[in-house]
Amino acid sequence: MSTPKLELVSLRKEYDGGDVVAVDGIDLSVAPGETIALLGPSGCGKSTTLNMIVGLEEPSSGDIRIDGVSVVGVPAGRRNVGLVFQDYAVFTSMTVRGNLAFGLEVRRTPRAEIDRAVSEVAELLGMADRLDARARDLGGSELQRVAIGRTLVTRPSILLLDEPLSNLETAARLAMRQELRRLQHEIGLTIIYVTHDQVEALSLADRIAVMHAGRILQAERTQVICEQPGHVLVAGFLGSPPMNLVRGNLCAAESGTGQEGGGMSFRAPGFVLPMPETAGQGVPEGAYTLGIRAEALRLTRVGDAGVTGRVALVEPRGADSVLSVVVGREVLKVVTPAAEAPCEGQEVGLCVPAEALCLFDGDTNRRTAFCPRERA
Amino acid sequence: MGGRAAAGEVTVLNHSALPHTPAEAGTDSGTGVVAPSSAPPSSRAAAAPQAAAPQAAASGTAGASPAPDTPRPPRNGARAVALALTVPGQVVSLLVLVLPLLVALYMSFTDWSPTRGSLFDAEFVGFENYGELLVYDTRFIYAVLRTLCISVVCLALEFTFGLGLAVLFMREFRGKSLLFSAFLTPMMILPVVVGYIFWMLFQSNGPVNQVLELAFGAGASVEWFRGAPFAVLAVIITEVWHWTPLFFLILLSGLNSVPENPVRAAVILGASPRQVFWRVIMPMLKPVIIVAFVIRSMEIIKLFDEVFMLTRGGPGSSTETISLYIYKLAFNDFQLAYGAAAAFIVLIGSLVLVHLLLAPVRDQLLEGGRK
Repeated sequence: MSTPKLELVSLRKEYDGGDVVAVDGIDLSVAPGETIALLGPSGCGKSTTLNMIVGLEEPSSGDIRIDGVSVVGVPAGRRNVGLVFQDYAVFTSMTVRGNLAFGLEVRRTPRAEIDRAVSEVAELLGMADRLDARARDLGGSELQRVAIGRTLVTRPSILLLDEPLSNLETAARLAMRQELRRLQHEIGLTIIYVTHDQVEALSLADRIAVMHAGRILQAERTQVICEQPGHVLVAGFLGSPPMNLVRGNLCAAESGTGQEGGGMSFRAPGFVLPMPETAGQGVPEGAYTLGIRAEALRLTRVGDAGVTGRVALVEPRGADSVLSVVVGREVLKVVTPAAEAPCEGQEVGLCVPAEALCLFDGDTNRRTAFCPRERA
Repeated sequence: MGGRAAAGEVTVLNHSALPHTPAEAGTDSGTGVVAPSSAPPSSRAAAAPQAAAPQAAASGTAGASPAPDTPRPPRNGARAVALALTVPGQVVSLLVLVLPLLVALYMSFTDWSPTRGSLFDAEFVGFENYGELLVYDTRFIYAVLRTLCISVVCLALEFTFGLGLAVLFMREFRGKSLLFSAFLTPMMILPVVVGYIFWMLFQSNGPVNQVLELAFGAGASVEWFRGAPFAVLAVIITEVWHWTPLFFLILLSGLNSVPENPVRAAVILGASPRQVFWRVIMPMLKPVIIVAFVIRSMEIIKLFDEVFMLTRGGPGSSTETISLYIYKLAFNDFQLAYGAAAAFIVLIGSLVLVHLLLAPVRDQLLEGGRK
């Protein structure tokens, strides 16, 4: 395997003499040309990580390697890493041209070369006719282009995008997302994309790294991370609605519950779910968190299924509806086609197929070996 | 100053006559003075948020009757109270500010002097005073040029020192908050007192000369008030000491409000600290810098107190500023009409100057609320 473009090794950032830990020892390796999304709620250390990669902040410990060479201690302007800010941070006193040329001008690049690079990037971003507009007069998506273009002109080896689309309106955001995808393909840059919007992460990234409280919980290929979340928090963060999570115990089914042959059942207060035949084998009894995919749950008639509940809320989303079904003390989200949605207050049975389930260890919150989909 | 204040007051008077409904008063955010007396506190609070909607709705159809939920117009009694509270103040300001201004304007077109009877008996001479001042009165022309020179040098020095201090104060160091208070103190002292203090400091056997002798030997002391260059220098030093804190304060608050991300973006793009400062921070500071210059230039054109205390314009007229010259014309020579004409020339000059100074950032300053 070739040298990773970027490697973070036990990267850690503390503030106030160790009282506040913003980034708590993260390891990440990014291949050349890869787009990876750092996904997580506000305050999880995403932006601090970016700041350390770009050189605005120095890590408290750990290492950052670009092309295999440590860049810790190298000043921000010399790392050849570009960063696009959430608020664009365009130089409003300059024209578009001035903004695009800035990075080369401060490096004392010859004028002819600057002009060539600026027009090339302006062409790429579709801003060739706006070069002499004042940055102050630009709209949101144009500012965004200038911010990206200003960075691209300097030919960074890695491009960092810090929530680049969150200040745009929906229409502009969709357009810009496509634009970014096009750029990604045309330039083949290594991109690290910070966002708290999973749709953005899913549509743009090859891999997603979910961060929480300064740690990377899981870094996986986009399809895999949704199917097989490695951690309870990842499961609770990804998906719309995210996976239902129920804390309880896995134990051998008692006789007379209809489960024969030493099957297992999952018990939480007021909630008993007999585990499917194929599931639960080789998993010891104990405390677990059970993940149930909202999309995989199916409604059946009461009495046909092992789980019965009452529909508390129906949220229509167009083609489908999200139901909140109260089962015991738990509220399970169920996605059902809009046409089949029951009324609020109605009793329904829930069919829980094996592929709907994921089992997380009660102590470590990590996914256990059990996961029917993997076997399927 | 007097003229501007008066203009402001008159506007308030106009507004006080206008609002018929609390809704209208509510939109007059700048002249909220009127609303309190015309509406009880509770209805005032309610009126403000509603104000925009009915007005916006009515804007398309001029003269349309107010929406049914528009608060009731205040009773005539409330309006009378509003007028009773505001009118006396307006009358006073009209009498002491606007009227004298108009009288002075008229006076400047006559050859009146208080020793020659009533102003209204004086001969109307048209622009004769103005012509005399601008063409023949070399003392006036020199006073103007001298004031401009002193202003340019002082403002340049004050800006340089103020900016330097402000940049220094963007870092953390020991005793910062104590020094901050210390650096602001000079501008809180009365100009007359500053003038007097420096008059004493610059005496031939005063502290300044003693320090100079200590540092550079016995021959280094200077007769500060005997000749033009040193007297002017003394005025400049006094003025710079007195008013650098204002530049410092304004520029420091400007630097503090410079957004962080463009600066960081420039750093990442490879700009050196010097390039970041001159190419990114300074352009963002431009409106603040210009406003600081406008405020200070308006003040320094009126430079009077310190010079009066230090040199009284002497020796000869070598430190005579415009204000000092006009003062002497009016109150030493009793040429009030001539002095009034000089004052109006200065007023018009200042107006032009301020507008020229503001021109580069005018659009930027007026941008608020347009987008």
